[in-house]
Amino acid sequence: MQIFIQTLMAGVLLGGVYALVSVGLNLIFGVVRIINFAHGELVMVAMYMTFWMWQLWGFDPYVSFFIVAPVMFLVGLALQRFIIQPIQGSSSAMKIFVTIGVSIVLQNLALYLWGGQYRSVTTSYTTSVLTVGGVNISVPRLIAFAGGLLLVGLLFFFMQRTLTGKVLRSIAEDRDTARLLGIPVSRFYMFATGLSAVLAGVAGVLLTPFSSAFPLYGAQITLIAFIVVVIGGMGNMVGALVGGILLGAIQTLTGTYIAPGLQQVVLFALFIVVVLVRPQGLFGAGVGTEEVGLK
Amino acid sequence: MATRYHPTTAGRGRRFVRFGALTASLALIVASAACGGAGPNGAVSGGEKPIRIGALYPTTGSLALLGEESWRGTAIAVKLRNAAGGINGRKIEVVRANVPDVNAAVAEARRLTSKEGLDFAIGTYSSSLALAASEVFARGGGTYVELGAISAEFNNRGYKSVWRTNPTATSFAEQEVSFISKYVAGALGKDVSKLKVVVVHEDSAYGSSVARSVQEKAAAAGITNVSYAPYSATSTDLSSVVLGLRSSKPDVVIAVSYASDAILLARQMKENGVVVPAFIGTGGGHTLAGFGEALGADANYVFDVDFTQYAVNKTATPGLDEFVAAYKKEYGGSPLSGHSLANFMGAQTVFDILEKTGGDTSAKAFGAAAASFKVKEGTTPTGWGVNFDKTGQNTAASAYVMQWRDGVLETVWPESVATMKPVLAK
Repeated sequence: MQIFIQTLMAGVLLGGVYALVSVGLNLIFGVVRIINFAHGELVMVAMYMTFWMWQLWGFDPYVSFFIVAPVMFLVGLALQRFIIQPIQGSSSAMKIFVTIGVSIVLQNLALYLWGGQYRSVTTSYTTSVLTVGGVNISVPRLIAFAGGLLLVGLLFFFMQRTLTGKVLRSIAEDRDTARLLGIPVSRFYMFATGLSAVLAGVAGVLLTPFSSAFPLYGAQITLIAFIVVVIGGMGNMVGALVGGILLGAIQTLTGTYIAPGLQQVVLFALFIVVVLVRPQGLFGAGVGTEEVGLK
Repeated sequence: MATRYHPTTAGRGRRFVRFGALTASLALIVASAACGGAGPNGAVSGGEKPIRIGALYPTTGSLALLGEESWRGTAIAVKLRNAAGGINGRKIEVVRANVPDVNAAVAEARRLTSKEGLDFAIGTYSSSLALAASEVFARGGGTYVELGAISAEFNNRGYKSVWRTNPTATSFAEQEVSFISKYVAGALGKDVSKLKVVVVHEDSAYGSSVARSVQEKAAAAGITNVSYAPYSATSTDLSSVVLGLRSSKPDVVIAVSYASDAILLARQMKENGVVVPAFIGTGGGHTLAGFGEALGADANYVFDVDFTQYAVNKTATPGLDEFVAAYKKEYGGSPLSGHSLANFMGAQTVFDILEKTGGDTSAKAFGAAAASFKVKEGTTPTGWGVNFDKTGQNTAASAYVMQWRDGVLETVWPESVATMKPVLAK
């Protein structure tokens, strides 16, 4: 029983990490309707920024958030304005190629600038553990989990209650009508991509205390983020959160009770099952929204 | 009323941005090509024809970290040998090829053999790349000397002109098993057959091949209680593995990990209070300076079996200090791992053999010279000797056992190369 609870706890915390990365991807999916294959690289860039600020100036990772967030917003703006906007009207294949191209450029730029070694941040709380009833909870992972929850909560509030959020939702619902109503869609797209990049940045900052930064980190995490988003329901924030946690739990439980080597197998098998049985995802907005990001 | 077509502002803007992006990309490509072309290539003297050999290493992509490190060892060997007059008065000219994956390895090997007309090459760090590139050279009647990849298969394909100067994965496994039976068993006061061993390994070719070698050697040494825990190197969480260790309480863990999973495993073991008396890494992530830096005091007492590292008994490794000094001068920092040293020693060995053939790089000449080329252990910068067997493998090279002690990877076994005595973790 002890092992079960410990495993479940580890799985839920891992799921929090997945959800954290997926939230930003979901936003850009739902609003800008683009499959951003470079999302993981944005997380990687944020991790490197956090690492270098710790290495060169001694900033605690959580403190560097205040610098990373605005920088990532600008990066997102630039990405939208100069790379995505020109191809907004073209075919889905084109959009996929372009974002994959961006991801490759960022990966190799990181490799060229900073080398291939794994960069780790070590702080006083890196291996701190909270022990509750015999169950060990890693502190940095708990903070990342809490951060993920907070982020989803804030985003939800923002989308539902603020005017900007309502505008973004209206663009997501029907872009052409929004344009007819006089909404400057391209400006809001830039804001959405900027926000998505900020979310990726937050994920990077929260991940740095317990994950090593290296140029290809993005490639790994993007794939998992996609699975989370598809399983949770594309464009659905809460879906991404629940989907992420579910995946984390399933992955870790598989590792303990079946075999560690089969963890990835189970993830992808689940992905296939969901796509076959309920393609719009567990929390998807109903049949017909499966092709978000491709239209 | 007829409307005249004129491009909208947006259209003009879009075309400008596209043009701007195109120009910027081209400029970036040209700039990076100019930058990428730099690097020690070996001087070409105006007089005598240089000796041209190919050097295939992955310097971009996922293997770039240690691929670049491996290349640096060779680069320094070339630089030093050319400064000392080259081989028989002829300069060594290295024709570099970047091989980030197997397809590139085959393509580049083909380019070097046909377009560049080379019949001799060295490389490669990664076993899968080495297998691919050497195949092209060997089939075309050329020679390929591997300086750093460890997969046992390399010398077992029946090619006569394929050689390797460094120890193999089998040798790593042998050394681990030997260390366990000759030291760990005694230190724990247990009989070899009573030791509980768990092999925690990443599940790709690297981890699985070492695990297989360990399985064979352990059985032969009488270590019967061995279990296996494979995991994916890209995992963000290794709780399942760690919880498994916590409940089984092994005496020995043999780990085969890459860089980030080595750190992750150690951290999660610390978080869950799992202490193993003898935790033995097998090269890879456990050798990297990054492992010691990331874990600090928590890395203490972790053993590691690998190529020769830098805290070693210098009387057994003449030339090591000179290599480190040359590395610092060229690259402005200490070597990242023993890969550069291994490639340095291997390249030097190749040049010494070519000295014997009078600069003849043909397979026949090199083969004859290499077969009779013998060097005693304890006389090269890695401490390895040179004695190629019939398959082209250097049997006088072996891995050593190191241990992390206060941030330094000290050599602890065998005694002839040790700087400290080994200690079990408590």
